[in-house]
Amino acid sequence: MPGATKSSPASLHDVELCALAAAGQRQAFGELVRRHGSAVRGLLRRMGAQPAEADDVAQDAFLTAFERIAEFRGEGAFAGWVKRIAARAYLRRLQKERRIGALAAENVEEEERAPAGDSDGRIDLDEALKGLSPAERLCVSMCFGAGLSHAEAAEALNLPLGTVKSHVKRGLEKLRARLAPAEGAVLEGRRGNA
Amino acid sequence: MLEAEFERRLERLFADAPELPDATAFAARVDRKLDRGWMARRWLIGAAGGAGGVIGASQLMMTNIFTRVEDASESARVITSSLGQVRSSPDWMSAMTGGGSVVWVASGLAILAMAFALRRVIEEI
Repeated sequence: MPGATKSSPASLHDVELCALAAAGQRQAFGELVRRHGSAVRGLLRRMGAQPAEADDVAQDAFLTAFERIAEFRGEGAFAGWVKRIAARAYLRRLQKERRIGALAAENVEEEERAPAGDSDGRIDLDEALKGLSPAERLCVSMCFGAGLSHAEAAEALNLPLGTVKSHVKRGLEKLRARLAPAEGAVLEGRRGNA
Repeated sequence: MLEAEFERRLERLFADAPELPDATAFAARVDRKLDRGWMARRWLIGAAGGAGGVIGASQLMMTNIFTRVEDASESARVITSSLGQVRSSPDWMSAMTGGGSVVWVASGLAILAMAFALRRVIEEI
């Protein structure tokens, strides 16, 4: 079949796949799920969801994305769009189960948990996030993982903007300390060698 | 400035999500769920269209509409003949008062149009 390879979903760009999905081609949407499923699930886990819960929410987010695919104009990345849908869906779930208030109030015993690092004390993001309080983790993940602004995160979390900003600020300070104990010197050297 | 650099780096770290080992299985689950939703929607719309058609047709039959239309035709004929005494009526007036067969044809066409529209809706969705 001439052109079969050319039109195979795997060879198409996300925007083209979105256009095909909007025209009703579910095979094209399936390819998008294959490409970005892990990123969406990963974000939800980083926000604090358990793996099974993250999978459920991610699944629902992709179904919602398929229903609303015509709204996606390709102005940003498809992955970012689905991540925002997923992040909001996860927050709705937390609010529905009244877990969000508890999260906001909860503080992690950060000093008790010493994430495992490499010989330079550097650790990966997942490990570093474990050192944040649930609220900090949620706010940082929403702003830097799902690409929401502080105001959008505050609205989605139903928290005052100042509270979200301070969670993000504290979270960033902790992450900076955990991700780059030598204040960037070691990391910069590594990045140059990479 | 260092702050901004760290924030950019953090965004990159968030974007660099590792591929999960069950990525294909997850995609297959979403596919299956989409399939189920798709089939359910088609059946639902088909059933709703069918039920609507049956209800509409039965209402048309049950409300004695044909008798009423014939009564109206009779009234129109009386009016037409009355008007004819004043001035001559145009030919098309008599065509409109032809009787119940027009109604049968119209309802048949309506059912056909409804079936066509329903089929298009199912195809579009």
